[in-house]
Amino acid sequence: MTSNPFDPEALVDAMAPLLGLTLTPESRAETMVHLGIAAEQAKKLLSVSLDDREEPAPVFRP
Amino acid sequence: MTAELLDGSAQAIAAAVRSGRASAREIVQETLRRIEVRNSALGAFTDVTATRALAKADAIDMGRARGASLGPLAGAPFAVKNLYDIEGVPTRAGSKINRDRAPAESDATLIARLEAAGGVLVGALNMGEYAYDFTGQNAHYGPSRNPHDLGHMTGGSSGGSAAAVAGGLVPIALGSDTNGSIRVPSSFCGVFGLKPTYGRLSRAGAFPFVASLDHVGPFGRTVGDLALAYDAMLGRDDADPAQADMPATPVTQTLEDGVAGLCVATLGGYFARSAEPCAFSAVGALARALKAERVVELAGAEEARSAAYLITMVEGAALHLERLRERAADFDPDVRDRLIAGAMLPGAWVVQAQKFRRRFRAAALALFRGVDILLAPATPCRAPKLGQKTFVLDGQEMLVRPNIGLFTQPISFIGLPVVTAPVWTEGEKLPIGVQIIAAPWREDLALRVAWALERDGVVRAPVAKLSP
Repeated sequence: MTSNPFDPEALVDAMAPLLGLTLTPESRAETMVHLGIAAEQAKKLLSVSLDDREEPAPVFRP
Repeated sequence: MTAELLDGSAQAIAAAVRSGRASAREIVQETLRRIEVRNSALGAFTDVTATRALAKADAIDMGRARGASLGPLAGAPFAVKNLYDIEGVPTRAGSKINRDRAPAESDATLIARLEAAGGVLVGALNMGEYAYDFTGQNAHYGPSRNPHDLGHMTGGSSGGSAAAVAGGLVPIALGSDTNGSIRVPSSFCGVFGLKPTYGRLSRAGAFPFVASLDHVGPFGRTVGDLALAYDAMLGRDDADPAQADMPATPVTQTLEDGVAGLCVATLGGYFARSAEPCAFSAVGALARALKAERVVELAGAEEARSAAYLITMVEGAALHLERLRERAADFDPDVRDRLIAGAMLPGAWVVQAQKFRRRFRAAALALFRGVDILLAPATPCRAPKLGQKTFVLDGQEMLVRPNIGLFTQPISFIGLPVVTAPVWTEGEKLPIGVQIIAAPWREDLALRVAWALERDGVVRAPVAKLSP
């Protein structure tokens, strides 16, 4: 993630049609702002080293 | 007499109704009058269920006349955030879109339980759209306004709930809290709020936001009312698959057990930076009153907040994706674009967040082996002005909307029970809240501490001075 700069513009333009979303220019611009904030949060979270064997919190019990 | 009762507690109203000093009809009529007079200023109610409320009040009065046993909330009015199903009312969840849905066919479980205890539902309350909000502002229905200073935010997303309680419209209201939506409005509006342990109270009939993080709980002007409402809502509900299989242990009878023997500590590190001084002064006031000298760190709080942030974006987006496709123009733009962004995030981020959640829980449980209660700010500042977009914390300008919850998010991320208690400073119009945090399933301890602080005058939740 640190070696590949996060590019909100590329992401929003690639994902919107895949998701079936039509964005106005204002919405596209705001979405990019929020993608940028999310990427900052993800950078902090992904800096934590977690073992392959660590379980996610929700555990399904059949 | 009735007006005095309505400025007091639900407990006092119920005692008056049980003893015959007041009728439930008088209480409800005066409540409806207050809503009529005050709601245009407060923007708290979106729906008033007057006919239903008067019928319920009459049933209570008739029950008393024939000698029936009345419940602990007999005749006490309450209202609910408009994401709770109310039979016959469309469940807006703060949105324009949901208003087009068919009216709910039955009441949410928690409404039914409060009414079974004698409470009287008087309506539904304003909220941020789809609960994705910390401000209490709403593009469709207008903002809820802070009763202590109408130019300021209530906080959100349960803004109408806190406004209705602080404004003296109802003594008890229900809200929901995914990342801080009970605790933030409690702090800004100066009322008590209880976010129980994740999985404690039934969410059945409450419109969802983030299944992994959604909690439901009460607001009140006294700790005793929080406890009464909580006790009435306890219990297994098979309609909520997320509810934990825990015994329903009432707390009201334990409130007066006191704080002697409890180890209380203040959270340092992450919880001791990025806020205005008033947030830390409020925590300090509680710590002094409780003789809590220890400061402890909850390692990983910052990453926990990030993880909660990302889970919220992704699960919220998944919930609303179809509506984003079909009715994007009908969303509040401030909510819509965060949801759209959430739909585009990598799945690996969320799995990392859920793995980290387990690790962070382990860190918190380890901390609770040495302490009973943790204190932390509820919000980084007092209520911002309505429409305010940014604030400055630690010298850095930040967006208000995503950052109001920076102290609440790490705590709800792992579902810890919290009572938010309001602190007032001489000369200030607005209060600020402190989180009283307990280990999972120990709501009783958080409420005991809050009750002792209220008894000693350290925290309080007065009715705002509004027109009559």
